[in-house]
Amino acid sequence: MIKRMAKSRAWRKFFRNKMALVATSLIGVYALIFVAIVGVQITDATGLTDVGSREGLKLRVMPPKWPGFLEAPDVDRRYDSLDWQIGNLDRLFKKDLNALDDPAGELGSVSLAERKLAELPIDELRALLDETNDRFDTLNEVFGVLEEVEDEIYFLPDSLAEAQEAGDSELVAELEAQLVSFKAERDEINTRVDEGLASVEASLEDLMPMPTGLDGLVYSFRTMFGSDVLGQSISVRAFYSIKIAFQVGLVVATLSVLIGTLLGAMAGFYGGWLDGAVMWLISTLSSIPYLVLLAVLAVMFSGHQYFDNSAEYPELQLVKLYTAMGLTFWVGTARVIRGEVMKIKELEYVQAATAIGFGRFYIVLKHVIPNTFHIMFINFSLLFIGAIKSEVILSFLGLGVSGQPSWGTMISNSKDDLSNYFFWEVGAASFLMFVLVLAFNIVSDALQDAFDPKHV
Amino acid sequence: MWGFIARKLIYNVPVYLGIILIVMLALRVQDPVLPQLSKNPSPAEIASVRENLGLDRPFVIQYLDLLKNVVTFNFEEESWTQGGKSVGEMLKDSIPMSLAITVPTLGLSAIIGVCIALVAAYFRGRAVDKILMIFAVLGMSISYLVYIIFGQFFGAFLPRQAFGGENWPFEINGYGALFLGEGASPMNWVSYYMLPVIIGLIVSLGYDTRFYRAVMVEESTRDYITTALAKGAGKRKVIFVHMLKNAMIPIITRVMATLPFLITGAVLMEIYFNIPGMGFQLINALRALDFPVIQGFVAVLAAMFILTVIATDVLYALVDPRVRLS
Repeated sequence: MIKRMAKSRAWRKFFRNKMALVATSLIGVYALIFVAIVGVQITDATGLTDVGSREGLKLRVMPPKWPGFLEAPDVDRRYDSLDWQIGNLDRLFKKDLNALDDPAGELGSVSLAERKLAELPIDELRALLDETNDRFDTLNEVFGVLEEVEDEIYFLPDSLAEAQEAGDSELVAELEAQLVSFKAERDEINTRVDEGLASVEASLEDLMPMPTGLDGLVYSFRTMFGSDVLGQSISVRAFYSIKIAFQVGLVVATLSVLIGTLLGAMAGFYGGWLDGAVMWLISTLSSIPYLVLLAVLAVMFSGHQYFDNSAEYPELQLVKLYTAMGLTFWVGTARVIRGEVMKIKELEYVQAATAIGFGRFYIVLKHVIPNTFHIMFINFSLLFIGAIKSEVILSFLGLGVSGQPSWGTMISNSKDDLSNYFFWEVGAASFLMFVLVLAFNIVSDALQDAFDPKHV
Repeated sequence: MWGFIARKLIYNVPVYLGIILIVMLALRVQDPVLPQLSKNPSPAEIASVRENLGLDRPFVIQYLDLLKNVVTFNFEEESWTQGGKSVGEMLKDSIPMSLAITVPTLGLSAIIGVCIALVAAYFRGRAVDKILMIFAVLGMSISYLVYIIFGQFFGAFLPRQAFGGENWPFEINGYGALFLGEGASPMNWVSYYMLPVIIGLIVSLGYDTRFYRAVMVEESTRDYITTALAKGAGKRKVIFVHMLKNAMIPIITRVMATLPFLITGAVLMEIYFNIPGMGFQLINALRALDFPVIQGFVAVLAAMFILTVIATDVLYALVDPRVRLS
């Protein structure tokens, strides 16, 4: 059958479309990532790295809300993260590490994914931490001075204005000179702050060296898009969402295309009461606004022991989405297929099959449905996009996935970060989603062009 | 024509009954009594609340009761969660807010979409056409939610930070009465509803432009265009006069087909911008399992949907003499 398909004019036209080929290979890359993640989860092959496994998602890889590549973190965020990291280390070393049962595990508790404590004797680590703490104290002093100077700069203009009003030219000149000198001092202190931050970071790096080799590669992948509010890697979560998106897209699109084709073909071919019943179902379901129907169906599952928020069976959470979208989406496909089948059933080859004496159901399966394959393909790719987009919307409404990352949860969780000028989470999720949806849009356009050029 | 309308209405009665049946059945998977009670209710308490809410009656009675209310336009039933507000009051409050967003969006996107499509069709196959269509596909591929989030950020939050709140017309979120009620002023439309309209416009332009262009392209292959060109009419005149007139039929159909979605069309927008329109109220009621509100809203929405579909069919036949009302 594939041979026959490859020969057909429509497929040749599709393969001549270069944009469509690029888009198809993009989808292929996504599909590979999907297969890889599923493979890691099924075989539990987490020996090499835990990127792709469920445990890897919750791993703390960086200080919270750390920006991704190219964006230099500002002074405040650098300071906060140093404070956070040194606090963690202090807490660890306050304990009597030699007396613990499992010192290695305890030492591992402060690690940021591949970035672990240096493999040194505990005393040396302690000395390094003391050194770091000393440098941090120095930095704090510099910050104290900076604050004083900034206060002066903040309040001086007021006294200056007062003096100007009073007409005291001597005082004005003096204050202006002071302001200039304070500003110079501030610039000088700012460079000292930079140096201080760099020196603390350097000694922290001695304590927790950056991983190298393969670990380094994995770590730089993790830190590519920065970290979210819990210090989890945004890139790992964004790429993991490909799995959720494909799962939802594949299941929903397959389910709705199958139901739609079967019901539509039967209704179109048999007519009569079956047609009436299917048309009634189609008109009924399409008369409820799509988003409302989707939400009503998703609400059916909310609060359920296994189908909602169940950490035990995360796959079951998606059943809610499959049901809601599957029941909503088949309608469009059924309508189109029904129209096409009504045309097909008047054609000669169907009459010939009837004349030979084949059963009606056999004819539908063997002769009618295969001739609607192109509609099924187009609808499949359209429904795939529809499912991914609806997942985002349902997650935003609080009816979608929870407890595991998806583009929808990532976008809706990070919508408030925008007011803090933190774009990485929403940006990463929407970019990966945008590329996939764009690729599917291009492919379905090309399919439409190739198979159904008259379609408006 | 009246016979046609009557037949359509009768045909849609089972559809309407089906809608209400499906929604009521889907809702009753959940038990709405428990969220209304304290933590560890006694069976007697549960039973009394159930009786108060009328949920102890058989399903058929509840179904018929709702139908009776709909047929007699009786929306006096009180919401369970909104402090005694009746469903009718909620409808009255929320419909204008939804319309304030969706009607301008629909109108503007149809007008602007047709204009862009005309330009694309005029330059068909040339760079202008290709660039416009690439933008349309790119625009279609961005999630609605991302448009809203970034639209609010760049349209209201950032400029308000930069220029100060008084110097920027758009509020970040919230709502204001337009014509009736306290502090009503048409100027509220600019501060609360205009930004959602602009965002909605950008979202729908991607889809609309592509559709309208396809219509124009389809229309441009017809014989009457060839005839007009052969007679020596200018390309511009043929496109803007002959073609546009004939392309109006699918355009009107599309606009009419989107009418029923006007009411709920802006659900996400309303929730994100905190505007208590119909979509906002409906989703909130769903989350709180507020049955009277959900059922009342869905009943009204579905009725409007069916009526506009019938109106579209009739209008279609009136505009296009080739279509017979049969």
